[in-house]
Amino acid sequence: MAAKTISAPIEVYRYDPSRDRAPRYDRFTLEVEPHTPVLTALLSIRNQQDPSLTLRYSCRSAICGSCAMQINSKSRLACQTPIGPEIERHGRLVVEPMRNQAVLRDLVVDQSSFWQNYRKIEPYLKLDPRQPMPEGTPNPMTPAEVDRFHETPRCIACAACYSACPAVESDPAFPGPMALAKLYRFVVDPRDRATQDRLVRIQTEGLWLCLRCHLCTEACPKDVQPSERIRDLKELAIAAQGGTERGSRHAIGFKENIRERGLLQEMKLVRQTDGLAGLAGQLGQGLRIWRKKPETTKRPPAIEDLAQVETLYRELDDPTEGHR
Amino acid sequence: MRRHEVVVVGAGLAGQRAALAAVEAGRDVAVVSKLHPLRSHSGAAQGGINAAVGAEDSVDTHIYDTVKGSDYLGDQDAIEFFCREAGPTVVEMEHFGTIFSRSPDGSLARRPFGGAGFPRTIYAADRTGLALLQAIWERLGTESSRFTLYQEWDLTRVVVRDGAVQGIVAFDRATGAFEGIAAPSVVLATGPSGRIYARTTNAHSCTGDGVAAAYEAGALLKDMEFVQFHPTALPDSGILITEGARGEGGILKNSLGERFMARYAPHVLDLASRDVVSRAIATEVAEGRGFPGGFAHLELMHLGREKIESRLQEICDFSRHFAGIDPVTEPIPVYPAQHYMMGGIGTNATGATSVRGLFAAGEAACVSIHGANRLGGNSLLETLVFGKQAGIAAAEHAARSSTRPEIAAADVDASQGPIRAMMARKDGEDPAALRAEMQATMERYVGIYRTEADLLEGIRRVRALRQRYENVRIVDRSSVYNLNLTDALEVGHMLELAEVIVVGAYARTESRGAHSRTDYPKRDDAHWMKHTLARRSDRGPELSYSPVAYTRWEPKERVY
Repeated sequence: MAAKTISAPIEVYRYDPSRDRAPRYDRFTLEVEPHTPVLTALLSIRNQQDPSLTLRYSCRSAICGSCAMQINSKSRLACQTPIGPEIERHGRLVVEPMRNQAVLRDLVVDQSSFWQNYRKIEPYLKLDPRQPMPEGTPNPMTPAEVDRFHETPRCIACAACYSACPAVESDPAFPGPMALAKLYRFVVDPRDRATQDRLVRIQTEGLWLCLRCHLCTEACPKDVQPSERIRDLKELAIAAQGGTERGSRHAIGFKENIRERGLLQEMKLVRQTDGLAGLAGQLGQGLRIWRKKPETTKRPPAIEDLAQVETLYRELDDPTEGHR
Repeated sequence: MRRHEVVVVGAGLAGQRAALAAVEAGRDVAVVSKLHPLRSHSGAAQGGINAAVGAEDSVDTHIYDTVKGSDYLGDQDAIEFFCREAGPTVVEMEHFGTIFSRSPDGSLARRPFGGAGFPRTIYAADRTGLALLQAIWERLGTESSRFTLYQEWDLTRVVVRDGAVQGIVAFDRATGAFEGIAAPSVVLATGPSGRIYARTTNAHSCTGDGVAAAYEAGALLKDMEFVQFHPTALPDSGILITEGARGEGGILKNSLGERFMARYAPHVLDLASRDVVSRAIATEVAEGRGFPGGFAHLELMHLGREKIESRLQEICDFSRHFAGIDPVTEPIPVYPAQHYMMGGIGTNATGATSVRGLFAAGEAACVSIHGANRLGGNSLLETLVFGKQAGIAAAEHAARSSTRPEIAAADVDASQGPIRAMMARKDGEDPAALRAEMQATMERYVGIYRTEADLLEGIRRVRALRQRYENVRIVDRSSVYNLNLTDALEVGHMLELAEVIVVGAYARTESRGAHSRTDYPKRDDAHWMKHTLARRSDRGPELSYSPVAYTRWEPKERVY
């Protein structure tokens, strides 16, 4: 299976805080086959050129989650990323440590915040002594119930999503995509007895801080789709609490708003989200906007094709009605 | 010096199950692992976990299949205990939260596996190890106030004084600091050592650290010459293609398009025991019926896209990513690769070793239930059944212990001193080069088929490598995540074990299970129905032998 080899220049981030004043990039050149994974190249650098190059790695088959890093600025597993297409697309191959976690050395980062966030969502079955598990036999679970987990059981905790997430970067209160996908896994578990409590709590513990940018889903090497599961959690959370929490009020307000006029009514949304007191709190900001762009503070007229919006809403509420 | 009551080294399924048992027994527990627990190699197990739970199946059939699979080298009393614990173990893991695949009636789904008389392998798609590892870590996590996790610490030695364990010496990768951790009970659950071989399904971290540390501390190693080669690995990388692929109906073909297993196992074909299928593939290739490059084909295409993508999802990803092959439309190239060590630290069914206070479980241990050949689906079960037993026994030993174990400064220095010398060298052997030579040597001279001449050459070469290791050099001087140091330690551990494997293989003049001597092609029950025991000495491993435990199953010729 010998393919033609390419000469690949690889730039690797190097930094040992115990000895270096600043990070640098070392350039290595390797003869590789186009399908050679980045990890294989990094290990051959370690074995043949520089044994001090430091990274986490173990299984080399995308199941242990050790080797997530930035490859040409994307969070990827090094073992699952072939070199050829990277060089073809970017003209170079730059390897850097994951983001949103401090560098300990070279490509090794401090994952303690990632693990703490995972721990914080209480990732274990919570039981109720009044509803004990069946003695000596497994809980029954239908294949349809297993399907409700979607791909969340495939998560290998590699933290690629955590590295890619702008909400993690901007707000330490956001638990990150992996933790929320893991929470979803427990929320839909028919064996768990704390579904309601989990859904209520997460609303004040970061759920609504997700920016819905989908970068986590794009980064995930196992197709867990954290972004979609966070969306599912939001829906379940609204249903669980009747939409009284601030984040859900915002989401519901947004939805009603668009249905009513076909576009966003900002003043109304603020009132729906934060109430009259919230509106009062935003008064200064409102006045500034009013001076600059008075039209945005007025109630906008409905768009012309409001009927089409209504059709869309009906189809979304009842998928059998449309052809979605 | 740190102090605990039970120190568990290794945090895969066996280590975590041991830790959970010791925590539940109320002991102060330390878990020491060179990887975060969720990165352990247990997570790479794909196919499933055996338990005779169906009404049509029986524990006795599971016992018989395991005894026969072991080529009558497994201890039957231990196997009986093991198979009886299977059902409760799987139920417990389900209650801990494992998401198993299900049948339409809501029960645990089961698939056929090699060497088994009944479809009794319970699974979670083709990522059963990952599913179990997540569940046990999440369960153990609820006890996080009751144990201390030493994450990314490397074991350097087990300290034994006056015949009793005192604890361990290890170093913290993050700081480079060597420390003694004293405890009356130590459980070694450090998993595989497959990186001794060039072509292996095992992760890079599988370097036999605990087995080597036990050996160096005077414990007996058992049956180390029995090395399992998994029939279906990707030829270039050694990445595993689960036996579940054949369990779901996959078939092997040679370059003539023949379903060649008909010649080697006329009754069960592709689902014969692993040693049988591996020899068949190696023979087909050696006799010129392989594909160019030296491999056979595993065909799944006839199963259809839906079944392949749902039940063998990871395999699809592996093949597409790592071999550029789509198993829905084309065959997967496969060749056997080292997969599992039947041998290990000798223990009884409670996990106790030949050293007081030292326990072992999982692949690092040898109870022995796998004998000369392990059946697929039995290793995940072993980690949990005997991990728990070792944890219970270690906790009891610690509770009874009246002496206060001590790790002296000299013990720590005995680990740190040689490292300093390796770092101080201006010139010396490169650990990566030694590792590569060891791997090539074991692959070539101590592989699937063995002969006296090859094994003698293997002994000579491994000993020459051990000599050169005396002059190994660490070029990285940093104290932070110094992987060059880890490399050097790991190669030292593996060279110790390589010598035990090749010396044991040379001595055993018969063919049994995975140990195939072309110069002694028959099983020889009269002389060799016994376990090999190896004790470390300055002259190399000293071998002795111990009887196999029998209960009900008379040795018969093994036909599949």
